[in-house]
Amino acid sequence: MKIILIRTGGFIPVKKVAETETNITDQELGNLLEIIRRDPATPRIRDGHYYTLTAGNSSSGVDLEKVPTEYKDLFSKLKNNLKIVKET
Amino acid sequence: MCKNHVTPVHCIIPPYMLNKLMESDNKKIADLAINTNFRSYRFRSDRLFFHSASLYEKTILGMLSKKSAKEVLQMEVYDCYQKTDLASATLIWDSKNNQKITSLAGKNVIKGGVASWDFYWQLFGRNSIDNKGLLIRQYVHYDKGMDNAYWDGRRMVYGDGDGTVFTSFTSDIDIIGHELTHGVMENEANLDYENQAGALNESFSDIFGIMIKQRFNNQDVKKSNWLIGEKVLIGPKYALRSLKAPGTAYVNHPELGTDPQPATMDKYQNLPDNDAGDWGGVHINSGIPNFAFYVAAFNMGGYSWEKAGRIWYAVLTDKKLAQNANFADVKNNSIVNAEKLFGLNSQEVKAVKQGWNEAKV
Repeated sequence: MKIILIRTGGFIPVKKVAETETNITDQELGNLLEIIRRDPATPRIRDGHYYTLTAGNSSSGVDLEKVPTEYKDLFSKLKNNLKIVKET
Repeated sequence: MCKNHVTPVHCIIPPYMLNKLMESDNKKIADLAINTNFRSYRFRSDRLFFHSASLYEKTILGMLSKKSAKEVLQMEVYDCYQKTDLASATLIWDSKNNQKITSLAGKNVIKGGVASWDFYWQLFGRNSIDNKGLLIRQYVHYDKGMDNAYWDGRRMVYGDGDGTVFTSFTSDIDIIGHELTHGVMENEANLDYENQAGALNESFSDIFGIMIKQRFNNQDVKKSNWLIGEKVLIGPKYALRSLKAPGTAYVNHPELGTDPQPATMDKYQNLPDNDAGDWGGVHINSGIPNFAFYVAAFNMGGYSWEKAGRIWYAVLTDKKLAQNANFADVKNNSIVNAEKLFGLNSQEVKAVKQGWNEAKV
């Protein structure tokens, strides 16, 4: 399954995207999203970055600080591969 | 005779005596009495005004600036060593011990933090972020190559930049002033972080950030280039934002494209109020109030913080300003505060109106 990590926000709002193929099943993805889903009630950090995870038909705001140990490498790789999406 | 004055007329004299002296045949005594009477009148009326002045009025008139010697900068700098756990960051400097440090980012935030604290204290009598001496905490080297700086509600956090497009976000003093001002904002107007209120929130941070840099560099409105983050964005032609000409900070940048900020209200961008939409374009539409401030400050001349800065600080700390204020609210508020500070038909009031008119608000 292809998963896409999107980063938005920041001091200047630059959009960055990274994607990778994984062996995660739909069930695992659902469980993972339950754990790392960003609480919409969390106060907005001034100039903060925000992350969204997209896989298949699912898309959710996520908090990377909540990523379980077994997925840390995956998300670390995604973060390191984030590329700027040039605004036209 | 009064020990403090060279003439008895300058001492406290009962009114009936002063009236007599004002009618004296001796012109010198009569002139002094008239002068004293005028001063006494002004003193009484000033005292009456200050007695009934609100805390806000006292603040904008600089009456609360005399603080005890204990009110000194308190600051700590932590090194995250490129990790993201702020709780495990290492304290590398504090204002009590003033340790020698080798980290350039650490040195930068100390310099910027001191300049920001001095700015608020020396100009407005404001003791730190909360005006109660809050300890300023700054975290450097956050995450690997993070191209950002932010205020998380308690502290300022800076990344090193990716080294390709961005360098360390500690490189520009205006960014440090910007982040610290987010803290001031939270303790004052606390404007909502969405849509026009959010763009104003960002604009206040840019405006105070640029003033902190201008003051640090002793630049007047003509000498300043009004650019934010000109070192952070790599390349001699680029900066993160321009208050003088929003939308031109970077043009045809190979990675970023062109600065999306509008300068005028007719170019306002209606963006979604979500993270992908920058909460309604808070970092985009801030170009409009930024430009209004630039025009106002430039037309007043001199140093931006001396006149325009006082007006914008009065707005920032005005309890009448609603959290969801829009551009028109801040326009009106800034005109009212300019009138209070400089007089109804003053050049400063005209300059503020010109600023907002140029921004088409």
